[in-house]
Amino acid sequence: MSLSAKARLQFMKDLGLPAMLRLAKATKGKRAPRAANPDFGPPLKCAARLKEIMTRHYYLSRFAPGARPVAWVTSGAPVELLRALDFYTIYPENHGALCGAQKMGPELCAAAEEQGYSSDLCSYARVDLGHFFSGKTPAGQLPKPDLLFCSNNICQTVVYWYKVLAHRLGIPLVLFDTPFNYGEITEANIAYMKEQILEMIPVLEKTAGKAFDMQRFMRLAELSKSTSQLWGQCLETMRARPAPMTIFDAFVHLAPVVSLRGLPVARDYYEILLAELTERVGQGIGAITNEKKRLMWDNIAVWYKVRDFAELFAARGMNFVAATYTNAWAETIQHLDMSRPWESLAKTYSLVILNNNLKHRLGLMEKMVREYSVDGLVVHSARSCKPYSLGQYDLKSLLSRRLGIPAVVIEADITDYRFFSEEQALTRLEAFFEALEAA
Amino acid sequence: MSPSELISRGEYFSQWRGGGGQVCAVFPAQYPRELLWAHGVLPMEVWDPPLAPARAQGHLQPYICSVVRQGLELFLAGGLDDVGAILFPHTCDSLQNLASLVEDYLDPPAPSLFFYNPKAPFAAAAKGFYVAQLQTLERELTRVFGPQPPEGMARALEWSRRLSELYAQAYSRRAAGELGVGAAEFYRVLRGGEYMHPRDYIPLLEGWLASAPANGGGQGQGIILSGVLPSPPDLLETLDELGFRVVHDDLISMSRRLLYPPPGEGDPYEALAESFLSMPPCSTRGSSLSERLEWLKGLARAGGAQGVVFSVVKFCEPELFDLPELRRGLKEAGLPSLVLEVDVNQEVGGQAATRLEAFGEMLS
Repeated sequence: MSLSAKARLQFMKDLGLPAMLRLAKATKGKRAPRAANPDFGPPLKCAARLKEIMTRHYYLSRFAPGARPVAWVTSGAPVELLRALDFYTIYPENHGALCGAQKMGPELCAAAEEQGYSSDLCSYARVDLGHFFSGKTPAGQLPKPDLLFCSNNICQTVVYWYKVLAHRLGIPLVLFDTPFNYGEITEANIAYMKEQILEMIPVLEKTAGKAFDMQRFMRLAELSKSTSQLWGQCLETMRARPAPMTIFDAFVHLAPVVSLRGLPVARDYYEILLAELTERVGQGIGAITNEKKRLMWDNIAVWYKVRDFAELFAARGMNFVAATYTNAWAETIQHLDMSRPWESLAKTYSLVILNNNLKHRLGLMEKMVREYSVDGLVVHSARSCKPYSLGQYDLKSLLSRRLGIPAVVIEADITDYRFFSEEQALTRLEAFFEALEAA
Repeated sequence: MSPSELISRGEYFSQWRGGGGQVCAVFPAQYPRELLWAHGVLPMEVWDPPLAPARAQGHLQPYICSVVRQGLELFLAGGLDDVGAILFPHTCDSLQNLASLVEDYLDPPAPSLFFYNPKAPFAAAAKGFYVAQLQTLERELTRVFGPQPPEGMARALEWSRRLSELYAQAYSRRAAGELGVGAAEFYRVLRGGEYMHPRDYIPLLEGWLASAPANGGGQGQGIILSGVLPSPPDLLETLDELGFRVVHDDLISMSRRLLYPPPGEGDPYEALAESFLSMPPCSTRGSSLSERLEWLKGLARAGGAQGVVFSVVKFCEPELFDLPELRRGLKEAGLPSLVLEVDVNQEVGGQAATRLEAFGEMLS
């Protein structure tokens, strides 16, 4: 790492970026505010803070190379190990969501397809590879990684995807192999994961150019734990009637716990968010003005349709109050225990929803339906995500039958709207609305 | 032996069960078959059952591959009702979820067994973990089928080594142009090992190798056939008709797992772990692209292949992700390639034949 690069990053962090943000704010033309939609309650005040945090994160990342080791990381990887070695982390999945929300999915996917990547592959991967080949991104610029850090606890796809990056960039790929939990997690699995952690630390140290500091790791792991717990508490406020935010808000406010977990800024942000949500609950302020029905979402968001779906459901007095996806970054954090750091880290990351069997998912969803007083279920069959989607048809039928709630499957994709038929989705949703209203 | 003497999967299954034998259905791809043999159990592999997709459509999205779809179809059609257990090795996301779908939601008629294959790059911990997986599977097999007979494992390892020798003979004779059979016959015979017990299959394979002509296997362009499995059959027939000479393959169901016997010395579980870890690079094992590329180039060099045909099952993510970099690297090495996306048990059709023909002309 070079001293000048470090000085440049520090300068941009302390002075350059704050000045730029102030200037941008001062010179920003006064846009006419979007007409308030009467179906929604007042917007969350801390959304502006979230935007600032994520802007800072992506903007400063371009100054990271040379100043700090840079890693591209999968959303389910034990990032705490990297935090202890001061890596600057970029999450291609988060970037994919950003591209999807900005409706850049098809353009970037096409850039990957031009290089031979099938349109049947995960569109997060195609977006990322499309960005890699074209350099296009709504984030301005992403730093080239020194290392790729990947865990297959969310899917095997990330392994195949990161292998391509490793091959093209000629950099190390560190895999945290988390055996799928067909049943209860086993001691053999935990031992295997623990041994892998111990084996990977020297590799990470080599790229970082510094020694792993166990005390620092433990402090940051605790920080990560408190961040996830706060996120979980934010989600739990949605048990209130009316719920103080919608799951579409949560999809957006999820970004720090995914991308900045283990950093103080993420924990601090969720303290602010939790305070605001708690205040709204106390004052009876709902995310939508007339919450008549409460819904649960299964699978990743349809990023290019978040606003449209939010409005579609809110207009009918329907609020999404729970989602398996947003819950994933809070569900297993209670296992993290610094008296057994490696075993507990293994358990925390191995037991996430997508590395767990479908029986677990059914039980989890049943519990969430009860705890969040859910009236109906919307299942997003995401073409990109086989581990999230294969099994959903049966899951939907079982839940619907056991709990007596209406449920619907919509076929879509997470970022590539070339594979989304609005007409077909709306037809299915209309039938679902009728069933829900009649229930 | 003539290939016509090779009885079908269904017939063999009936005969085996009729004789009181136990069967474990096994989904793709890599698994320690020796452990099943050691228990006297016949592993019956489920790759591409020839059934019309009907029931599975109610359980699977259209973007799930035909290997998973056909396997589930067989299960739903009752084709696995008479087996003693169903083994699901961990291969990819879709097979992983299929295993959980069957076990957790579909009330299987037989116990489900699971086997997690560690992923590359294999950490030092991988070998011990693999051995632990074997021990767990051994306990499960004992619970379901009873204990191994004395010498069960030793005999199983012998069968495994003998089979690997015979497969290796078949592959090396073919590569040298000394096996006068086309791709269709070659794979029809070698796929017998997916469902026949080695006690029956080894003599059959020995007989076939002894009786197969030493030449006449095609003088056309030499290719490497890469992908998941040698299916659909009409693809192989088309290759033969067009005069291609498959000098080697890089198929998950074939050379990526069959040619690497457990070592003859030491602890049997350690030997099985060694066998697994020594298998060639494979997309489903997470092998690096540079390893796969070098492996493919090496196969082509050794067999004098002029190009590579990738026969990829549609929606197979592990294979599809590897393709662009492999093709780029092969092209740089002067090896053209062709990609055919196939569904198992669906004819490849005239368009694929035309593309193969054009590819052959380009190679000549």
